[in-house]
Amino acid sequence: MVKSNGSDKNKILLFSILFMGLSHILFLKRFGKGIVYAFIEAMFIIFTVLTTLVGSGPSIYYAISDMITFGVGADGQIYNAQAHNFILIEGVMALVIVGVFIIFYVISVQDALRTYNEYCMSKRLEGPKGLARTIDESFPVFALAPAIVLVLFFVIIPLIFAAIVAFTDYTTVKQSFNWVGIENFKYIFGGNATWTKALGSVVVWTLLWAALATFTCYFGGLVVAVLMADNKIKLAPAFRTIFILPYAIPSIVSMRVWFSLLNGTSGGIINRTLMSFNLIDAPVSFFSSVSMARFLCILINLWAGFPYFMLLSMGTMTSISADVNEAAKIDGASKLQIFRNITLPLVLYQTAPLIIMSFVHNINNFGAIYYLTGGAPNTKLSTTTYAQGTDIIVTWIYKLTVDQGQYRYASVLAILVFVVLCPVAIWNFRRTKSFKEGEV
Amino acid sequence: MDRKELDYYAEDKKRSEKKAEKEKNAKSPVNVWAVIAKVIIYVVLIAISIAVIYPLVYTVAGAFSPGEDIGSITVVPFQKGFTFSHFADLFTKTQYGLWFKNSLIIAAFTSIFTVIAATLSAYVFSRFRFAAKKPLLMSFMVLETFPSFLGMIALYVIILKIGGFNQLWGLILIYIAANIPYNTWMIKSYIDTVPISLDEAAKIDGASNLRVFGQIVFPMAKPMVIFLGITSFTAPWMDFIFPKFLLRTPDKMTVAIGLYSMISDKKDQFTLFAAGSLIVAIPFMIFFMMTQKMMITSLAGAAVKE
Repeated sequence: MVKSNGSDKNKILLFSILFMGLSHILFLKRFGKGIVYAFIEAMFIIFTVLTTLVGSGPSIYYAISDMITFGVGADGQIYNAQAHNFILIEGVMALVIVGVFIIFYVISVQDALRTYNEYCMSKRLEGPKGLARTIDESFPVFALAPAIVLVLFFVIIPLIFAAIVAFTDYTTVKQSFNWVGIENFKYIFGGNATWTKALGSVVVWTLLWAALATFTCYFGGLVVAVLMADNKIKLAPAFRTIFILPYAIPSIVSMRVWFSLLNGTSGGIINRTLMSFNLIDAPVSFFSSVSMARFLCILINLWAGFPYFMLLSMGTMTSISADVNEAAKIDGASKLQIFRNITLPLVLYQTAPLIIMSFVHNINNFGAIYYLTGGAPNTKLSTTTYAQGTDIIVTWIYKLTVDQGQYRYASVLAILVFVVLCPVAIWNFRRTKSFKEGEV
Repeated sequence: MDRKELDYYAEDKKRSEKKAEKEKNAKSPVNVWAVIAKVIIYVVLIAISIAVIYPLVYTVAGAFSPGEDIGSITVVPFQKGFTFSHFADLFTKTQYGLWFKNSLIIAAFTSIFTVIAATLSAYVFSRFRFAAKKPLLMSFMVLETFPSFLGMIALYVIILKIGGFNQLWGLILIYIAANIPYNTWMIKSYIDTVPISLDEAAKIDGASNLRVFGQIVFPMAKPMVIFLGITSFTAPWMDFIFPKFLLRTPDKMTVAIGLYSMISDKKDQFTLFAAGSLIVAIPFMIFFMMTQKMMITSLAGAAVKE
């Protein structure tokens, strides 16, 4: 038994490190927890050591080592005949399992020490608590498990895999691919003139697009909300109902409709309308020049995107407490003054963080580009790089992956997106209330 | 009251009336400006309304006009007659009914399981203290920023490995996982505002964690849960990227894929597309119109995410 004066801390630490859950079972009377921890370690040892030695069954060791060699031995002999993408995904999964195991280990040691501290304070070890209590106390584990397992397997592992593929020569035609180091990065960032040019133009357009799309929708929405905020506009609810429509319609529908209306042949409605007013003589091919197509992307995105910011601004306007307005009124402020000095600054202040989130959304806004233009028109760079005039990074990634099977370059671009968005993600986290209050 | 006093009051009344009239006269130029401003506002709002409705008019016109491509719709709608035949064609000449069923299955299951998984984890994040809480919340926030299709190549391999390729359930798993980080944060922020004293009182009365969750926290979080249930329904409902990549046979097609295939550079079945689009879009439009008040508050709440 351990002493309750804190002197056995090292003993607890040693035994909990020696084997997961050992301290729980031997000293702390947490048998249920200890057995679960011990079981986790036992399973881990079976699948790393035992299956490796026996040579049958899934082995975490082999999964990781095969990932490095792609199942080809030093003598050139193939001892893992699986497709290379399967070898790679198994390797990533094995790495993640090792990672999760280490996290469990740290948690189990911390838990043993905490339980011991509690014992030192209360001088009393709680015995077994009965099944119902134990199940109830492990509720957080069961409640978190589905979310974490799903996110691990369908979000985190895929992202790691995507990042790793950037260091291989994986394409659809090359199923038995190999490690190539940073060759792909070199190729795209300067090694190949056409690809480098295409990358430059796509990145510039992506940033320009995101900035303009965000700016136009934000101020478009704000202006409309402000126009309707005047309570003398009796029809405001009717207008709001109309303005909400683009937000309600799935973008794949509305963008394909716009695409059809802007059809460059004599069939397109907009062309026929302009011709019937004698504004143009022959149908204009709207998506054939890059600058025209880009301008239309932003314009039509304004159509689709302003309702969101309109609703948002209206929401913040109504949430401004009536007291503030009342106080201003008593002080003799006119309506215009109240609006200019109170309402507008407050709305801007509250919605400003969303400008950045909306910028991120637009960098990833696949639908607004792909459903409208599909990337068109072609440029000189399109035949080699598959990047067209209105393609942003994500639509380019999509084409490289789905249409062309150029997984290696798609992965390099995916890493580029990570690098650009990571600071934003961290900034977003730091501004949350939970973070500011030091809760997490 | 004597005479003098009454006179005084009468005079006072007159005086104040005069003053009011004076003020009114002084104000009248301002009123003219107010009227002009109002007219301008109305003109602007009507112009925006026309721009908003413009493509919708032609979608409706397309759905009910005879002919096949965009060229068969007249500039002034309905000059060449009116027909319901496109709606009949959708169900006889294409597999629209099947696509609709597939999309509905995907969206409904995604929505239900997202909400369950996210609410459970949000409850744990909001109410329990445990070792890995900070890194987990942080990674959820970081993951929320990246579109899930960046990992598309791996998802293809994983789905192939677990036998979910060309299966609706494979797609559902991907959508649920992709939705969890954002939804967990949203519900957690909401649950944080529910006073903890309520669950503590219930726990003193002997309620289990599951019971506190089911009978106190979940009902309290209902407004947010409904809002997120809807958004997790709409996203997979009209998603194009994953079905296109992971569903291959005609019997697994979804509405988004089916509609998209009707209009391309080589193909123009605008009228059929318009009819199919109306069927999926109208329920959303009605729903959004009905719930716009609620959405204004929900969005404002989501804006100041905590």
